[in-house]
Amino acid sequence: MDCNDCVEKLYAFLDTELSTTELEQVRLHLDGCDDCDENFVFEARFLTTLRECCTSDVAPAELRERVIRKLRGESASPS
Amino acid sequence: MANDAFETEALSFLDALYRTALRMTRSEADAEDLVQETYIRAFRFRDQFTPGTNLKAWLFRILTNTFINSYRRRQSQPEFTELDDVDEFSLYRRMTGGPAASASPDPESEFLNGLVDSEVKDALADLPEKFRSVVLLDVEGFSYKEIAEMLGIPIGTVMSRLHRGRKFLQKRLYDLAQERGIAALRTAPQKG
Repeated sequence: MDCNDCVEKLYAFLDTELSTTELEQVRLHLDGCDDCDENFVFEARFLTTLRECCTSDVAPAELRERVIRKLRGESASPS
Repeated sequence: MANDAFETEALSFLDALYRTALRMTRSEADAEDLVQETYIRAFRFRDQFTPGTNLKAWLFRILTNTFINSYRRRQSQPEFTELDDVDEFSLYRRMTGGPAASASPDPESEFLNGLVDSEVKDALADLPEKFRSVVLLDVEGFSYKEIAEMLGIPIGTVMSRLHRGRKFLQKRLYDLAQERGIAALRTAPQKG
């Protein structure tokens, strides 16, 4: 596997979507290639930052109450 | 599954559904309506849910279906873009080559630590909807296969949209950082 092949599998690797064989091939390349390894580490950190930023919001308390009211009203009504 | 247990578990995903709805619709009022609609449908069709399977994925499938059927057509954004111009963008290469590399010993960390939540969210809002949906579902931890099933697209399309979506965000954030003149990105004279 060369650097281009490796970078092509970057996201599938970080998303844990590679087959065992592909995973091993990528790992083997990363072990011997500092540049690709650093690239992968950076992309992993970017994805973590993105995830943290996107998953920090909470729903308004009022929405939770409204949903619960609706659901209980809904199940109480004859179907 | 007993009604109470189903309700408790379903409601534990309210925050996740809301924040995804908020970024999909880009409107707080629409997001609240979309989430409410999602729960009403989930409860109406709860017999179709197989206990022991992934309730979060099931709820998100209802959310994305409802969004596609009721909200997507209201979006004003043109959907013809393929974002192929960002395909080859590599933030890592920008960081390690050129001015950024010579201005800081660790430009990558400086860039990532300098990212502001609101800028990341604005960049996401600017991402065309079909790419944004895939990125948002990935952020919530779904697999390529689950995302493909939710959106009714092939796995290969999930992969390419995720790739381009991420590259778009990186490029947008890099350009913003440059505009803001983050220290690492300035063509500062080298020390020594």
